[in-house]
Amino acid sequence: MATASKIQAAVVDDQMTMRSLVRTGLQQIGIVNVREFPTATEALQSVIAQPAHIIISDFNMPEMDGLEFLRKLRGNPAMKNTAFILLTGRADKDLVVRALQFGANNYLVKPFTVATLKEKIEQVVGALT
Amino acid sequence: MDPMEAIKQTYFQECEELLLAMEEGLIAIQSGEADSEVINAVFRAVHSIKGGGGAFGFENLVAFAHIFETVLDHLRSGTLAADEEVATVLLRAGDVLADHVQAARNGEILAAEHDREIKQQLETLSGKEGGCDAAGDFDGIDFKPAVIALDDLDPAAQQGWRIHFAPHAALYAKANEPALLVRELATLGETAVTSDLSRLPALDVIEPDQAYFAWDIVLKGDIARDKIEEVFEFVVGDCELDIQPLETPAPETPEGLDVETMAPQPEVAAGQPEKKEAHAAAEAAKQTIRVDLDKVDRLVNLVGELVITQAMLSQRVAECKIPRSSPIGDGLNELEHLLRELQESVMAIRTQPVKSVFQRMPRLVRELAAQTNKKVRLVVEGEGTEVDKTVIERLGEPLTHMIRNAVDHGLETPDERAAAGKPEEGTVTLSAEHRGGRIVIEVSDDGRGINRARVREKAIERELIAASAQLSDEEIDNLIFMPGFSTASQVSNISGRGVGMDVVRRNIVDLGGRITIGSAPKSGSRFSLTLPLTLAVLDGMVVAVGDQTFVLPLAHIIESLKPQPQDIRPFGHGRHLLNVRGAYVPLVQVSELMGIKGAAKPLDGVVILVESQGTGRLALVVDAILGQHQVVIKSFEGNYRHIDGIAAATILGDGRVALILDVDGLVGRCRSQLADAELQPTGT
Repeated sequence: MATASKIQAAVVDDQMTMRSLVRTGLQQIGIVNVREFPTATEALQSVIAQPAHIIISDFNMPEMDGLEFLRKLRGNPAMKNTAFILLTGRADKDLVVRALQFGANNYLVKPFTVATLKEKIEQVVGALT
Repeated sequence: MDPMEAIKQTYFQECEELLLAMEEGLIAIQSGEADSEVINAVFRAVHSIKGGGGAFGFENLVAFAHIFETVLDHLRSGTLAADEEVATVLLRAGDVLADHVQAARNGEILAAEHDREIKQQLETLSGKEGGCDAAGDFDGIDFKPAVIALDDLDPAAQQGWRIHFAPHAALYAKANEPALLVRELATLGETAVTSDLSRLPALDVIEPDQAYFAWDIVLKGDIARDKIEEVFEFVVGDCELDIQPLETPAPETPEGLDVETMAPQPEVAAGQPEKKEAHAAAEAAKQTIRVDLDKVDRLVNLVGELVITQAMLSQRVAECKIPRSSPIGDGLNELEHLLRELQESVMAIRTQPVKSVFQRMPRLVRELAAQTNKKVRLVVEGEGTEVDKTVIERLGEPLTHMIRNAVDHGLETPDERAAAGKPEEGTVTLSAEHRGGRIVIEVSDDGRGINRARVREKAIERELIAASAQLSDEEIDNLIFMPGFSTASQVSNISGRGVGMDVVRRNIVDLGGRITIGSAPKSGSRFSLTLPLTLAVLDGMVVAVGDQTFVLPLAHIIESLKPQPQDIRPFGHGRHLLNVRGAYVPLVQVSELMGIKGAAKPLDGVVILVESQGTGRLALVVDAILGQHQVVIKSFEGNYRHIDGIAAATILGDGRVALILDVDGLVGRCRSQLADAELQPTGT
């Protein structure tokens, strides 16, 4: 059981459209504390300084992609309890399997509905209240 | 606005950027300059357009982007080589994707036949049927979500506030007691109070009536901020008070996902490091704001009025015989200087790089090349050149037409080019540059040049010129600007469209510009547009003619001179030529042109030599030169109607209205009058 309003979430995507969509979805399920980052580099710096409970990150980004971000994140012991949900638009099972090996908690396929977003989060942190 | 609607707008804005990045990448692929990063960037752009499109239910767009993306993925993985044929298909696909986005933006769906052909080509390249649902492929994937315990998110978990309270001396002076306040806080929840003695000075410098103590209070529990503020209600102006949620991790706090390190509220959650980051990020990004154009125009108008007022003020000061070297004169000079800077800055707000028009041209060229079966390379230069927004907005149509002309009429087919010993691929160059306070845009091609015999034939056929007319090459070239002229023996659906070069010219002239043409048989044609950088002000020479005042644009003036009697030669029909250091220039009295009585004769007046690019020079006779001023252009057509020889009006320092002479028009008219009466090759 987790209280949605207490969850700190970070959304990482190079496209503002996608960040806004995820943020709006999160807000609709009660997760209102959302930080947005256009690059994984910025996200990494920020979540190390101020941890987040859930990170929802795109895979396909310039410079540092989602998997590299995840690998760096898991390389920091303080980040082991951060839930990582990979946002992917690719019909790419290999990618998802690799993400799992790197320590992703779940994946979310674009385009997604608010219900799917909620389901994917609840699969990781338990029912949201 | 509905949040989804707002995000949709963001999506379309991002699409514009993505499409641009995609096109740049595709062009690089076509020219063989693309490395894996470029291909990746193109892939990402298409992928992002697809991703966002899916969220808004643009199914056709997504389906198309998906198959496009699949081909790009093959290119990325190296299973498909980026040869010329592939690059051409990709560029075409990029154009169609842009069409899909545009259709979605207009709330429409692109007709199936619009993308059928290119879709088939993409499918051939990808080697499989497109349109499969990306999400479907995830069925049965072996992925179990990894559960994470966020127990610390339990509502009962610790929460509360960190309060820093530092009373000022005034607090004690008003007989308040900090201890009572702290005790009251303790009634709200569990408190832990530490004294902050850092401000306490050495004993010998302590002032007994000053306040040195401060306290840090940790208050635990689910307490509303209001409740805390209530406690300090009566001392709030007499102390330092800082109330923060329990989030700032103290140095000894163990790391981890402890709720104490989390902020319940985003607006206060931003800790120092993040604030700095946000600031740095904002610095790095190019800072822009969107401003309503009306506001900018109001500013432009006001500055215009200010320029007029300043001119009036200068005139009044001069009338009062106050020397320019006096303190008032100095102030006035400074004002003039600042005003000019202000004006330039304000005008700069309205300028934009011509890129926004130029970037539409590569696609046009690709489409034209496909339709005409010609090989065309478009070279774009100087797309960063800035010019007034209005000029940019009205450049699109003439440029499109000129590019169409260049590809359709100018360039030969690959076979013809090969036969002429030229490379099969023709080149169309589109360039922009600043030249002498104006912007010059050129469209040139390395095609066959203007077929002068055909143009002449056509002009005779259309009764635009007499069959006996003797025309120079330049005059023949200029015939294509005459209304109703079309050189294509059959009006194709490319250049035809019922619009001729005369319309192009009219558009340009309406913008205060001019168009000239240069052509050499077998080596190509060059169209030059010369346009003002701004439509709001111009540097002018104020001249007197009879009791009237006129303004001549400084850009056209070459020199002013006092003619000698032997320099003026009659040239029939009461016309005269002026000998200017061996060159004969038509001499024209402005008073005659404008029908003003009582003006000076040529020998008594001043002659101003003006030049119109492309059409030649003219010696204008005026009574006197009154001065040189920056004048604010007030459109004539908007308030009255177009008058030959007059470009616009302005308001002078003394409040009078003066007409701005249209030098291009005057030169064209006078020169054509001087030429064979039957020929008016340039028209007006």
